[in-house]
Amino acid sequence: MIILDLELKDAPGELIKALTPISKMGINIHSVIHLREKKVDGRIPVRLVVDGLEDKTLNEMIDELEKLDVIITKVNNSIRKRDIDLVVIGHVVDTDIRDTIDRLNKYGLVIDLDLSMPDPFKESSARMKIIVDSEKLNDLYNELDKLSKEKNLLFIKSF
Amino acid sequence: MKVILLGFGIIGKGVINVIRKKKEYLKNKYGMDLKVVAICDRSGAAIDENGLDLELALRVKEETGKISKYPEKGTSLPIVEVIKSIEADALIEATPTNIESGEPAKTYIIEGFKSGKHVITANKGPLALYFNELLSYAKKYDRIFRYEASVGGAMPIINLAKETLAGNEITEIKGILNGTTNYILTKMEREKLDFDTVLKEAQELGIAETNPHQDISGLDTAAKIVILANSIMNMEVTIRGVNIEGITKITPEALSMANKGGYTIKLIGEVGENKLEVGPKLIPLDDPLNVKGSLNVAMLNTDLAKEVIVVGRGAGDVETSSAILSDIINIYLKSKKMG
Repeated sequence: MIILDLELKDAPGELIKALTPISKMGINIHSVIHLREKKVDGRIPVRLVVDGLEDKTLNEMIDELEKLDVIITKVNNSIRKRDIDLVVIGHVVDTDIRDTIDRLNKYGLVIDLDLSMPDPFKESSARMKIIVDSEKLNDLYNELDKLSKEKNLLFIKSF
Repeated sequence: MKVILLGFGIIGKGVINVIRKKKEYLKNKYGMDLKVVAICDRSGAAIDENGLDLELALRVKEETGKISKYPEKGTSLPIVEVIKSIEADALIEATPTNIESGEPAKTYIIEGFKSGKHVITANKGPLALYFNELLSYAKKYDRIFRYEASVGGAMPIINLAKETLAGNEITEIKGILNGTTNYILTKMEREKLDFDTVLKEAQELGIAETNPHQDISGLDTAAKIVILANSIMNMEVTIRGVNIEGITKITPEALSMANKGGYTIKLIGEVGENKLEVGPKLIPLDDPLNVKGSLNVAMLNTDLAKEVIVVGRGAGDVETSSAILSDIINIYLKSKKMG
């Protein structure tokens, strides 16, 4: 048995999108559990239990899912990807928000961005969700520190 | 048991009030006859080796502001001389905190050990700066050193970790260790007010100090994290090694943004492997660390018991004195065993 922890948008069709490639590869799915109580920021953790697979087939399956932007957070409880939520305070737009995102995308993937600018001359706030490979987490944190110093931005992270 | 109280401000008066209130309880439950043989403040001291009249001491302080005006037994003897010359089992050190130098509390604590007294302190300064040095004096003179009140006020954390959770390895501690910042962030979040407005209101209500720098800059939390790191996790760190960010940059918009994502923002102190930091963090709205108002909370991650969480009142005279009283009782019971 292999346990896959996915993170899906809470929207119609998202589960089918994740299950289709698995079923096309002829892999037997034992159970699908929605962990609705753990929903954070519009995303729902879903646990899939599939038949035991050889490493090669498992990796192929993961590749197929990731091509479809399905986020696989854990395989058999070993953490593959983490999602980091951030609130950013400062002159988020004026300090070149595109550059900020590009630099974070070198280590992870910014998948959500929400911006609040109460006054064009005052500091703004933004909310971001970043998906990052667990082995690149420290690199991402280092980049956040650099950006914070260079652009005088405060990044408030989730644990 | 005879004790000397150093410092007769908010905490010192709280200690005296709690001792008065619990006198019979201590006698009945533990057989302890607790006598305060000296009380010191900036003006000097009141000394009576048979035990001071605590009600009178409080009244003298209230009316004159000076304990040295205590009738007949008031004196202008400096604190260090009182520590050296007056016989007592323990010293309760509750003088004002100095987070830069740790003095004069550090000297008082050391003099206490040197003169053969157990020491209880509520003072973060000397603990955050000189923990290991103070501990070495306690060991050298074979005295007990207790400091539960220095972190989290009434919230039991140090003794919980060291005694109740004995046998567990504690790998991480994180939490809200400053009630003022929690009050400010809670109010900003609920009422969509900006930082300066809420701080001003908190100062008017007496929740924030006139000089709130230590609280809002994160320095107070950093001192507490250092105490926890050294005393519970056996580290050898000082406040200079803590990565500190305060809450002054937090805006109501940022709190709304966090709320939209299912989070709140709290000033969190954290100590763990390769981690010693204080800063605002996103906490899920349904997380046990999301406590409101001026409450404190701490989560200890342990190898056997896993996560253990304590919540309590982090400040207040009676609340802090409850932690001091638990230290007094502990010393009494231990020293009875020591003979």
